[in-house]
Amino acid sequence: MDLLRERLIECGWKDEMKALCRAFMKKKGRSNVTVDDLVHVITPKGRASIPDSIKAELLQRIRAFLVQASV
Amino acid sequence: MSSTINHLHHHHRIDGQISPLTSSCPHLADFRSRNGAKPFRALQDCLRVKPPGGRAGIRREPSEVPRCAACGDSSPSRLYACVACAAVFCHAPSGGPSHASAHAASMPLGGHEIAVDVDRAELFCCACRDQIYDRDFDAAVVLCQSAALKSAITVQSSGNPENMRKRRRVDYRPWSPDVRERLLMDNGSSVLDCEIDRPRGLRGLNNLGNTCFMNSVLQALLHTPPLRDYFLSDRHNRYYCQLKNANGMIKGVKLCLACDVDAMFSAVFSGDRKPYSPAKFLYSWWQHASNLASYDQQDAHEFFISMLDGIHENVERDRGKRHGDCCIAHRVFSGILRSDVMCMACGFTSTTYDPCVDISLDLEPHQVTAHGKTSAKSHPSSNSEANGFSSTQIPTTSTLIGCLDRFTRPERLGSDQKFFCQQCQVSQESLKQMSIRKLPLVSCFHIKRFEHSHTRKMSRKVDRYLQFPFSLDMAPYLSSSILRSRFGNRVFSFEGDDGDDVAANEMSSEFELFAVVTHSGKLDAGHYVTYLRLSNQWYKCDDAWITRVNENVVRAAQGYMMFYVQKMLYYRASAQVCPS
Repeated sequence: MDLLRERLIECGWKDEMKALCRAFMKKKGRSNVTVDDLVHVITPKGRASIPDSIKAELLQRIRAFLVQASV
Repeated sequence: MSSTINHLHHHHRIDGQISPLTSSCPHLADFRSRNGAKPFRALQDCLRVKPPGGRAGIRREPSEVPRCAACGDSSPSRLYACVACAAVFCHAPSGGPSHASAHAASMPLGGHEIAVDVDRAELFCCACRDQIYDRDFDAAVVLCQSAALKSAITVQSSGNPENMRKRRRVDYRPWSPDVRERLLMDNGSSVLDCEIDRPRGLRGLNNLGNTCFMNSVLQALLHTPPLRDYFLSDRHNRYYCQLKNANGMIKGVKLCLACDVDAMFSAVFSGDRKPYSPAKFLYSWWQHASNLASYDQQDAHEFFISMLDGIHENVERDRGKRHGDCCIAHRVFSGILRSDVMCMACGFTSTTYDPCVDISLDLEPHQVTAHGKTSAKSHPSSNSEANGFSSTQIPTTSTLIGCLDRFTRPERLGSDQKFFCQQCQVSQESLKQMSIRKLPLVSCFHIKRFEHSHTRKMSRKVDRYLQFPFSLDMAPYLSSSILRSRFGNRVFSFEGDDGDDVAANEMSSEFELFAVVTHSGKLDAGHYVTYLRLSNQWYKCDDAWITRVNENVVRAAQGYMMFYVQKMLYYRASAQVCPS
């Protein structure tokens, strides 16, 4: 999990999500937003915008772990 | 959520934004009144900090894997533990099932509304379905996280933090002139001629042979408010300059760059509108920077640094001077950067402070869209937020704010850049983070548009457009804010070791843009132009030609060096009033 977090910070994904959250809060007004709203709005965009290189790296690691664990 | 202002009227900062301590959740207040003086005592033993320098979480046993008590799920991203009964439940955002809310509702006598996020140690109210903040809880978490980190401060630079703490504050005394002073003022002043067409101090600079790199920077400096005020109030008088006579004999020539700057200020602000030729200054600067003395085009940023250095060099060497008090150049431009390097194995953090006269920023690399295609917007587009949300595209315009975010982001020093950790006594992989400990009066941001590659023996210029704001708040990049953000979302007043610097920074982190130096053309055959903001009008200074331009022209320009002055020192009078 830590590796994923690090990669997402490195590629700027976290900053982009932060910017999207800020924009959303500006639109709605600071007092009218709950964590639920934010998560609801941000999640689909976040899932869609993960760079392929990160997906590939993590899949590769999971595969390697499964192979090594099944032996 | 209710938004009543708390009686205490506390102002605190979350991520650099001041906000009144509003919206105390009624359920939290209820919980606190039920559970006495230390309502979160039980949680304290369950606080686990993932080393090193990691997030704080809540676990009953160190190796516990939390699961929702209702559905047995341990995979949802947010699991909450009820503070009253320690049961763990999952919570999905609006619309989905929330076992946490169900749990709160299922208790007829109430008291189970407050829960804590098990992975982030942040409080949550299941009834209000939103995050809440409590001072005592956050204080306990911060204490726990700080205990897990061991840090040392090493001061490697000439600026010793000890000296900074001894800055004395002078009490403010308001002044108004008495009769004698008023008489003096009336006799000694003359009415300024009406300046409708052009403000005083705007004067073209003749190009003396590829000297646009110098002219552009000079125009910016001639209108840097603290610098302009210093020279125009005769703080460095070229006729009585002791330094020139004492220090500056180089090859039989008396040299003091500040004297030549003083001469330039007098000429430019004299009211004469004919373009001025800074030949004497150029000659003096050539004496100082003899390796750059030629009629070739030079780099404007390099000239800027060299000029500040020239003004500084001629000052008496006084070791005891506080940071920035050595010369006017440093008094105006010098700030302090803080660099933290944290060992990833043991958490030991080494901190260094370095003075700097500007900040050089890398342009962001090409952004990647969801479909894996690279895209780089090279034309000015409106701010990404205004475009609304498109489902697949990420905003790709480079912004100055983005560059500053990247500058202060924690950066991993990989296996080829291992740092020697004093605690582990071996080179380890580490995490490096920059922040600004002390803001200068004037911040100069230099965008690294010229890439010189030694390996490929070529240089190139990056033309990508960079959006920059006219007003800039530097608060999120201060050391105090960066340090605070390491602890997550907390309501906690951090006592910095900074003392005076923190107070000074927090009063004056807002900056206004007043000059932009732009470069157009190729690496070796280009032209520098400066845009100046005077009385909220923008003027284009292209060597000897000064023209008034619309602010949109400036917004669309390709910024190379941007000069921001602290808002307190900037007069934004919107129109000149002409005495009738």
